[in-house]
Amino acid sequence: MSNNQKETKNYPNKGKSLPVEKSIKDTVFNIFKKALEENIFDALLIPAKVPDTDAYSWILLQDESLFDIADPLPPVMTVQGGRALSSFSKNGELGLKIAALLRPCEARAVIELFKLHQVDLDNMTLITIDCPGAMPLADYMNDPKKIADSFKKISEKWEISESLRPACQNCHRFSLMDGTGPDLHIGLLGENNKVTLIANSPEGNDLLEKLGFESKDSLDKWKTEKEKLVKEKTKKRESFLKEWQEKTKNPDGFFNELNKCINCHNCMNACPICYCQQCYFDSQMINFKPEIYLKKSREKGALRFPLNTMLFHIGRMSHMVLSCVACGACEDACPVSIPVGRLFSMVGDKTQKQFDYVPGLNREDPLPLQIFKEDEFCEVETPNECEEKATEEVK
Amino acid sequence: MNDKFTPNIIGFLCNWCSYTGADLAGTSRMKIPPSLKTIRVMCSGRIDPLFVLESFIKGADGVMMMGCHPGDCHYQKGNYNARRRYVMLNSIFDTLGLEKKRIGLWWVSASEATRFAKVTNEYTKEIEKLGPNPTSKEIFL
Repeated sequence: MSNNQKETKNYPNKGKSLPVEKSIKDTVFNIFKKALEENIFDALLIPAKVPDTDAYSWILLQDESLFDIADPLPPVMTVQGGRALSSFSKNGELGLKIAALLRPCEARAVIELFKLHQVDLDNMTLITIDCPGAMPLADYMNDPKKIADSFKKISEKWEISESLRPACQNCHRFSLMDGTGPDLHIGLLGENNKVTLIANSPEGNDLLEKLGFESKDSLDKWKTEKEKLVKEKTKKRESFLKEWQEKTKNPDGFFNELNKCINCHNCMNACPICYCQQCYFDSQMINFKPEIYLKKSREKGALRFPLNTMLFHIGRMSHMVLSCVACGACEDACPVSIPVGRLFSMVGDKTQKQFDYVPGLNREDPLPLQIFKEDEFCEVETPNECEEKATEEVK
Repeated sequence: MNDKFTPNIIGFLCNWCSYTGADLAGTSRMKIPPSLKTIRVMCSGRIDPLFVLESFIKGADGVMMMGCHPGDCHYQKGNYNARRRYVMLNSIFDTLGLEKKRIGLWWVSASEATRFAKVTNEYTKEIEKLGPNPTSKEIFL
């Protein structure tokens, strides 16, 4: 991984375009097969379809024959890639060189987990791919064939369809961003029937060199098409943010949405950023003696069970929202269809802006709560004092 | 029975500055509102945003976070961390339309007993004006 930002920023000027012969999947896999054969990396983390079922999962692939079941862009996001990657690399010292093919939101989660010391990126090559989105998990499970077919159509046209997951409809970070995120990016946009390999770090460049590719092809076409789509999707996202900010203008908007919650904590378990071994809300810390509950119910007239439903959501928000990559895994996991991903993404957007922070953009950017400046946020802490200070300075 | 609303304010006071300041205010016989319930923490950097949220959702009318002045932290940087956490909390409250005024951050040093009394009295008056926290009567939370 590079610490020299200027150096890495120069990388995405040229790329390597490869013609698609059979299918995009085939072209991408040929690159990986070559890399595995030549021991450029030892294993590849990639989504795969479990044979004879409609289920998707992650595999750490070493045997080339298993490329048959692998799928670089499955119609659904079952387990968030960040979670899959951290499950085997959080203890560090991998020893093996591993590459991971991830959606951009998954790679952003990996970068955040890296800052939280939950993944080891020393021997890891992060590869991202232009992402057309994914379908809601519940829809897919109801009718896998139909949804897979419609996903195929949507992904070919790069359509912002209503049938995509809400998180994907409102995602403007579906491609490579201007930062030190992944090592290598696979561009699908741009010229038809071409796949573009874009190195985004010295490691990515090394990888291309070892594979015998020269980054000489112009990226203009990919860039123009990407930026066009980014613009369109940013517009969509802004209107979504506006709509939801209106909805949650008073607390009832937020509370009413979350009142459906059955306290299963699926959103927390699916969230790549929620990495704590034991969550406060699963611990004994929130249990009290019976008389406390009786007293509470007397005070309020009644007490709702399970307890702490709202506190769980806002508390979780306060712990992870600055790193929220808006992947929508929480919303997919919710059994009662609470728009929890949209809520978190909306709060995240505003809170992250406060700190000028984009989660998963740069590996070098520290987490906002891990750093500080001596002189900042005076206007937020206690407004009156800020004025006093300013007038004192004038005097 | 007195109908006047006495707010329930939770104060998280750092051991080295604000708590000592509060102590000094007490020994100097300054008037501190009875509405303030203090919880001593070793540093304002120990205040997990969850503490504040839990107090707020479980019905506290106001939550005060207090620590040493910037640059004076006993542990060098705890209060700077507290400030960043407070900014984040503030932003969450803002986005969800919760009452921002019910949480606050003040710097009070060990010698500023008068300031402690002033700040707590002012805040209590402000909360009295705001009225009780609606979450204290809300069942479905």
